Formats: sequence, C-alpha cells, structure tokens
Amino acid sequence: MIMVVSQAPEDVGELLAVARKLGEPFVLAFQTSAEKVDEVAAYGHKVFRLRSDRPEALFSAANRLYGELRPQLILGPSTKNVRDGLALLAGLHDLPLASEVTQVSDEGSYVRYSRGFMSERVIMTAKVPKPAVLLLKQKAVEPVGKGGKGEVVEVSSEQQGVKLLERRPKQFSGVRIEDAEVVIGVGRGFKSKEDIQLAFELAKALGGQVGATRPIATDLKWLPEDVWIGISGKRIAPKLYFAIGVSGAPQHMAGVSDAKVIVAINKDKAAPIFKYADYGIVGDLYKTLPVLIAKLKRQ
Amino acid sequence: MKDIAVLVKASLNPEIVRQGSDGRFDIDYTPLKISDIDRNALEEAARLKGLLGGKVYAISVLSWGPVRARDKDVKLAVQEALAKAADEAYLIEEEEILPTDQAIVASAIAALMKSKGLRPAIVLAGEASVDESTSQVPARVAAKLGYSFVGHVNKIIEVKGDKVVVERDVEEYTEILEVPLPLVISVTQSINEPKPPTLIQIRMASKKPLHVLSAKDIGFTSRPARSIEEMKVVTTSRKQLIIEEANVEKAVEKLLELLHKEGVLR
Ligand SMILES: Cc1cc2nc3c(=O)[nH]c(=O)nc-3n(C[C@H](O)[C@H](O)[C@H](O)COP(=O)(O)OP(=O)(O)OC[C@H]3O[C@@H](n4cnc5c(N)ncnc54)[C@H](O)[C@@H]3O)c2cc1C
Ligand SMILES: Nc1ncnc2c1ncn2[C@@H]1O[C@H](COP(=O)(O)O)[C@@H](O)[C@H]1O
Repeated sequence: MIMVVSQAPEDVGELLAVARKLGEPFVLAFQTSAEKVDEVAAYGHKVFRLRSDRPEALFSAANRLYGELRPQLILGPSTKNVRDGLALLAGLHDLPLASEVTQVSDEGSYVRYSRGFMSERVIMTAKVPKPAVLLLKQKAVEPVGKGGKGEVVEVSSEQQGVKLLERRPKQFSGVRIEDAEVVIGVGRGFKSKEDIQLAFELAKALGGQVGATRPIATDLKWLPEDVWIGISGKRIAPKLYFAIGVSGAPQHMAGVSDAKVIVAINKDKAAPIFKYADYGIVGDLYKTLPVLIAKLKRQ
Repeated sequence: MKDIAVLVKASLNPEIVRQGSDGRFDIDYTPLKISDIDRNALEEAARLKGLLGGKVYAISVLSWGPVRARDKDVKLAVQEALAKAADEAYLIEEEEILPTDQAIVASAIAALMKSKGLRPAIVLAGEASVDESTSQVPARVAAKLGYSFVGHVNKIIEVKGDKVVVERDVEEYTEILEVPLPLVISVTQSINEPKPPTLIQIRMASKKPLHVLSAKDIGFTSRPARSIEEMKVVTTSRKQLIIEEANVEKAVEKLLELLHKEGVLR
C-alpha cells in the first residue's frame, strides 16, 4: 500500500500518478476545508481526512496510519508543512526520506529515485529500502485526472505541545513570472526599494515582468515573495532573463537554468553571474539602466 | 541555566561543481564548507547564550569521505562554530558511515548526546543544508530525542520559563507559535545577519575543546541505508560574452545589437 499525503487538491493528481504505478494508494488529506477534501476524494481513492493543517498533527495522524496500514511508501509534496511533519515520522522510524524528487521507480524491496543536488547542478540517483518517504518536486510528473468517488473517513491526531498564537497571510502580487517571456531579476545591487522603479521601467520597455532574488523578497521585503526566483522560490523559463545587481548564487541560478538567453549587469567583473550569462555588461546598474531604457524606448 | 546545541554541517560547496570526463560529478575535488544557514544558527546561538546562561555545544557529523581528505575542511567549519558561539565541539568522523544519509546523521547526533550526557534545552540548526537541501535532519533529531520541533523559524521572539515563542515561515503565511522546551529549532536565513568571527574569537577558538569521535566512541553501529548510484552534472553552457566598456552608451549599443541578433527583443 502507498500512503499519499495531499496538502491541496492541486498536488494529488501528480502524487497519484506516481503512487498508482507503485501500489495501491490511499490518501491522507492534510487540510481543513470539506470542499477540498471532496475534491481529493474525486480521484477515487479512500481519503483519511485530518482536520488540521499543522505539521505536528500531520506527524501524529501519519504515524497512526503508518502503524495500522503499514504502507511501503509514503508520498507527498515538498512543501514546508509536509516536510516537517513527515521528517518527524521518518526520524521516529528511521525511514529514508528524500524531497524534491523528480523520478521514482520500483525495485522490489527497494525504491530508486532521482533528485536535484548541489542547488540542482547535479542530479543524484539513489536506492533506498522500503518503507521510505518520497516528497515529489512540483510539476515533475504528468498528473492523473479525476474519476470515481473515494470514501472519506476522519482521522484524529493527538494534541502536541505546539500552540498557534497568530497567523499572518503573506501579501502576494499575483504576477505569474513563470509565464512571462521576459523577466528582469532584481538583486541586492539595488540600493533602495524606490530604485527598483528602474527595473519596472526596463520591464515595461521589454514587455516583461520583474522578479527578485531571495534577500530582496524575504529579508528586505522590497518585492512580494511570489516573484522570488530560485531553488526555494519560482523556477522560470523565459526567452530572456536580465539579472541586474544579482551575484549569481547557485541557489538563484537553479531557478533560471531554463531561460533561453541570460543577460547580466553587474559592477563586479568577478561576480559568478558572468559565468552563467550569455551576455553581460560590467558596469554600475545606476548608469547602465537609464541608457538602456532610453534606447529601448526610442526603438 | 539552559544549554544550547548547534548542528553544523560541512557541506559540499555548490559554487564549485566540477565535472569528470564521463559527465559525472567529480565529488573528490569539491571542497566542503560550513553550510550557509548554519551560520545563522550560530549567530542566534551567540545571541541566546547571553539570555539563557548555559553552555553552547557545536555538533557536526562528517558527511562525505574519505575522512583523511575531508578532515581539514570539516575542522575549519567546526572552528568557525567555536569562534562564533560554541564553548565546546563534538565532531564525528567515521569512515564506515560515509557517505552518510540523513537518518544516520540524526541517529549519530542522538547517540552522541546520549553517550556524552548532553541535554540541551534548545537545539539550533539550519532549515536546509546547501548540498543536499532536504530540510530533514533537525526534525529527525527532535523525533529521536523526544523534543518538540519547529522548522523554518524567522525569529525567536522570547524565551519565557519552559516555553519559547517563535515566528515560523511557511509558503502562504507566517505564524507565531508557543513551543515547550526542550526543543529543536531550524532557522531561516532571514533570522539574522551573521557576522564573521573576529580575530580574537578565532584565536580563542583554538583553545576550546574539540572532541573528535568515531562511531565506536559513541556506541553507534548502524550503517547508511541509502546507496548513491549516480551523480550527474547538469550541463548548461552559456556564451559568456561579457562587455567591458567604459563608455556606457557604447556598451549598451553593443548589448542591444547582440540581443537583436538573438531575436529576443520585440
Ligand atoms: C539553502 C539556500 C537556499 C537559497 N535559495 C535561494 C533562492 O531560491 N533564490 C535566491 O535568489 N537566493 C537563494 N539563496 C540565497 C543565495 O545563496 C544568495 O545569497 C542570494 O541569491 C544573493 O542575492 P543577490 O544576488 O541579490 O545579492 P548579493 O549576493 O549580495 O549580490 C549583489 C550583487 O550586486 C552587485 N552590485 C552591487 N552594486 C551594484 C551596482 N550599483 N550596479 C551593478 N551591480 C551591483 C554586486 O557586485 C553583487 O554581485 C539561498 C541560499 C541557501 C543557503
Ligand atoms: N552531517 C551533519 N552534521 C551536523 N549537522 C547537520 C548535518 N547534516 C545536517 N545538519 C543540520 O541540519 C540542517 C538541515 O540539513 P538537511 O536536513 O540536510 O537539509 C543543517 O543546516 C544542519 O544544521
């Protein structure tokens, strides 16, 4: 049997595509709303509904089902809550766990998987004994469609010590940089939030969108997190990626490796970004961008 | 008085990925370095130390072999931990468990704590290592020790009595949690800005105890379950045509000309 942990109806099709090839799946629905649970059940497998979205609760419920049903594999998405909950499960039972998995194949009492390693600059293929926990990378496999109506039963979790005091939703821009043909990447070379206006002007002149490195989106919060590019943010594949004041850390470049053309503007000639770029200008962005924008507008 | 343990990994440096002639990752020529986010954990340990008044231990398990070739790099990482925050360090170097997997690392850390009688109130770790980035060792350690766990912490707001109040980062929201001690916390890069150790701190570090231990020393017999079959380098070659031109007008014109030729401009 395969335990599929679904955090959202959007992830379950991909998880089931892998699970069905490996055994008989049942689903642990790790979310609170009844409509979402119904959507998950519409794939035709039995659903255990957990009325909590806390990783401690996931750990407790998954541990109960693991003990009762003895699944050979546990599959889930590579989200933070699922990682945390299932890493606790893996820790308790010494199960192998891999996240951001892109390929899975059955080897009898073993399972073989591939995943990105070294900021996705290396693909590692490894074999581990079952039972094992594998967390899939998003969009790595073709999802299966809905069909059938699975039985839904409740699964409870024990109260753990963690107390939730407050939750604050993040503010997102709603801009889908993953669909943009041209993306302007803003890095810490920009000295203030106001200066990012230059990147927006360039984006406008090129018909593109503005994205950001991790520190710009998370530490400084100059741009919303849904335009954060990289291994822990969005992966994009535009025709043209402009990295401006971006140093070219491997964790950032993992998000743009599928760009057709990469252009870098950086004042430091030795910045790693120039090794990952097709074209580059060694120069101050504050001098280069106004000229570039003016020339593009004139064309 | 509450002790703190910090988990420090010497990771393969992802900035230096060499490819062997067969397309495989040339792991032997890739140096180890302290995993970036563990620096944030150390910075936080240094801050909390003053508040909690206990000792700080650094714990590291060598992950990539052979021991002889990696000894220098891993000790450099541990020395940084001693310089920044730790009073004492434990380094497990064991050929038989190399290359490790995350289950083995967590088991070894738990076995070490048990055999040395370490009972930290807080275990600090990074949210992800820079080579494997699996975000699982801290939670595994918590499960093995029977500690509470909270991952992806952006801020340790307050330690009051036997509880800690933290801000945790998730994809869609941040949340404030109250968590009982003892506790394992994995921190994000946003929690602080790690400062490099000062010269005085570095000099002091060389006088602090660094215990290098084998599996036998901590009564540990397990072997990794994972076998790595292949490590293939993903090759993307870029043109790397870099314009160095003092005249900005000329530099920009040249770039636009190149981009026109590529057909990527509207
Ligand atoms: C596990 C892990 C996951 C991570 N995930 C991500 C991720 O998903 N995405 C991500 O982006 N990062 C990620 N990071 C962080 C990453 O390692 C880098 O720290 C980050 O990408 C650096 O951002 P930056 O290039 O904006 O800043 P910096 O590295 O500070 O670079 C700024 C650059 O701007 C240049 N500059 C300065 N002034 C000017 C000027 N006036 N004109 C032109 N150039 C100028 C400098 O020369 C420098 O190269 C991750 C790190 C870890 C450890
Ligand atoms: N071999 C190790 N020795 C000590 N700490 C480790 C080791 N591996 C992982 N850690 C800790 O666990 C964190 C997350 O690592 P990972 O689970 O590999 O993503 C790291 O940032 C370290 O704090």
